Amino acid sequence: MILSRNRRSLGLLKIGLVVASVALFLATALVYVSQTRQQAFLTATIRSSGWVAYQAQLEFVKVQAEFAKLSIVPSVHGVHALMLRLEILRSRLPLLYDSDEGRVLSDVVDTRGPTQIFEVRLDQVIDDVARLDPEDGDAAAELRALSAELEPLGEALQTILMQSVAYNQEIFRRERALAQRPGAVPLVLLFISGACLAAVLILQSRRDRIRLGEIGEAQAALAAVEENLRAVIQAVPACVVVIDPDTDHVSFFNPSAATLVSPSLDDPAWPRFVKAVRGAAGEPDTRRWGALTMGYARGPGDIISLRGSVGSVLWERRQQQLIVLVDTSRVRNAELQVMQAAKLATLGEMATAIAHELNQPLAVIKMAVANARRLLDPLPGGEPVAAKLERISAQVDRAKRITDQVRRYGRMPTEHLLPFSLRHAVELAAGFVAEQFRAANIALSIETSAPAELLVFGEQTMFEQVIVNVLINARDAFEAQDGEAQDGEAPRDDTDHQSDAGSRESGVGDREGGAGDRAVRVSIGLEEGRAVVLVQDNAGGVPPEMLERLFEPFATTKSTEKGTGLGLSLARSVIRDMNGTIVVENRGGGACFAITLPTTQASATQDAA
Amino acid sequence: MNTAQTMLICDDEEELAHELGEYFTSLGWRVELSVTAENAIGHLRQGLAPRVLITDLRIGAVDGRQVVAEARALPEALRPALIIIITGHVMHNVAAADFDSDFLYVKPVDPNDILDDIAAGLAGGTTAGG
Repeated sequence: MILSRNRRSLGLLKIGLVVASVALFLATALVYVSQTRQQAFLTATIRSSGWVAYQAQLEFVKVQAEFAKLSIVPSVHGVHALMLRLEILRSRLPLLYDSDEGRVLSDVVDTRGPTQIFEVRLDQVIDDVARLDPEDGDAAAELRALSAELEPLGEALQTILMQSVAYNQEIFRRERALAQRPGAVPLVLLFISGACLAAVLILQSRRDRIRLGEIGEAQAALAAVEENLRAVIQAVPACVVVIDPDTDHVSFFNPSAATLVSPSLDDPAWPRFVKAVRGAAGEPDTRRWGALTMGYARGPGDIISLRGSVGSVLWERRQQQLIVLVDTSRVRNAELQVMQAAKLATLGEMATAIAHELNQPLAVIKMAVANARRLLDPLPGGEPVAAKLERISAQVDRAKRITDQVRRYGRMPTEHLLPFSLRHAVELAAGFVAEQFRAANIALSIETSAPAELLVFGEQTMFEQVIVNVLINARDAFEAQDGEAQDGEAPRDDTDHQSDAGSRESGVGDREGGAGDRAVRVSIGLEEGRAVVLVQDNAGGVPPEMLERLFEPFATTKSTEKGTGLGLSLARSVIRDMNGTIVVENRGGGACFAITLPTTQASATQDAA
Repeated sequence: MNTAQTMLICDDEEELAHELGEYFTSLGWRVELSVTAENAIGHLRQGLAPRVLITDLRIGAVDGRQVVAEARALPEALRPALIIIITGHVMHNVAAADFDSDFLYVKPVDPNDILDDIAAGLAGGTTAGG
């Protein structure tokens, strides 16, 4: 505010000084010109006035000379010459007071009074001369008398001439003095004018300095703002890209965009990205956030969902286009997972209902087969029919396995998870399959670095089912290696292997195996406060194309006799309900399933937090 | 097998009830079939005094546990020695005792399994299984 007021005051002062300077300069010039012209005029006039006095005096002398000459030898010619001289003298007298020069002369000496008196007298003298007869003897005396009458005129003219000469001398002296000493006023005026101009220049330079300072500060502030903006743009998790709308060349991208597309501008991924944005944007200017939604293929099978906007922006002094996008893949995936979960929940409910309804006719078939077999027994030659009945019964059992698995799959998760001993559950599950492993010549071993009292939360029976499923999956992989060696890949999962309550008493059995190369090793440990169960086999591993889908429902490479394709999907569901994870990878010549679960201690800590 | 023993089978799935009845009848049991809970409860109240009661868990709109409760409430002389439930419903972590029965099966069930359990149950008084 103060700075602004000072600036306004300085501006007004500067304008005032400029006006004063110009006015003074003009005044100086006018005064100078006026004085010079007046002086020149006056000088000329004064000098002319002296000349007028001199002419009058000269004519008087000539008249006196004509009188003297005519007095000696009177003649008609002489009379005429005298009259001419008298007429000329008469015409000179009014000039002494009734002309510019005469008026100037009047300021110095009275010219009117002394001369006008003689004008009348001079007229009488002219008349007298005109009447004069040169032949008359008195003519000479008369001429002398007339000449004597004019003597006072001569004295008056002499006085006027002398006064004029003195005046001219004084004027000449003053001119010389003036020429030697320039006028102080113009100098003072010029000095003031120059001072004003100097002050104007000083003020202007000061104002320019202030303005330059302000511009510098503004530029520094602008640079700081730009720097901050750039820092913000660099730090935001959104992808920010600026492109030239004419060439589609990328002018700028932030680290998030570099991560998404490429850190190098020369990468051909950038033109592909810009083309994808252009294709998705449709409208030339989709400023509204969310107006732009697109998918971008970062690599084969790696498609990212993006959402954002495209708009014009003034970037590096040019009109360019600003693209802002955020990766919504996780949100999108979460939405898909929710949709998938909802679909699966519905599917589970449907499957449960269908399983229940199917079990009714299956029960009837099962009973009817039993009765038919009983009726057939006493009849001779009924073996082929008995074999068919056996097949029917076996197929009913298979259908029952499917419905049981489907019902498990569609079960609702337990709301209240109960703690149980992880090690004990694993041992029970291993015990359930021990006999099958022994028969298949597979060495099953359990290694534990976790304490026996390590507890996890969940449904123990369901968890045991998970371990059984994974173990039987390994067994089937070994069998597939034997039976389908030509395929080179071992089928995986989906087996419907359930442990019922009555079978749990089975011991772990042949943990050390005795089975050559075939081995399945179960290890229980603790990593970063979470329980980890690893099930490692050496059955060749999971086909790579199946790794991603192994836990999806109905994903299997096995024959229909081996399973439903729901076993590992159910396992994932159970582990997820326990707030844990189950993953698989190929290593050590086989598949390695890793189950990670929160322990009671970790859960307690979480609750406390 | 004691051929004098009576069995009450209650299931709204008529074909299954008949097949079960035929199976056990062929083995010497005197089988009474009911396709409604009301009918089964009527038999029990009228002094049928079956040795074994086999019932579905849901008989039409009626809960099979009502039939079980009715049987358990009978005087000891009329009360079945074994109560068996056969259900087609989803069962997780449940046992026969949860339904106050001696055995619990999920359909389809092998009748020989039932037969074995009945023999064991009547011989030794087993109350667990399924």
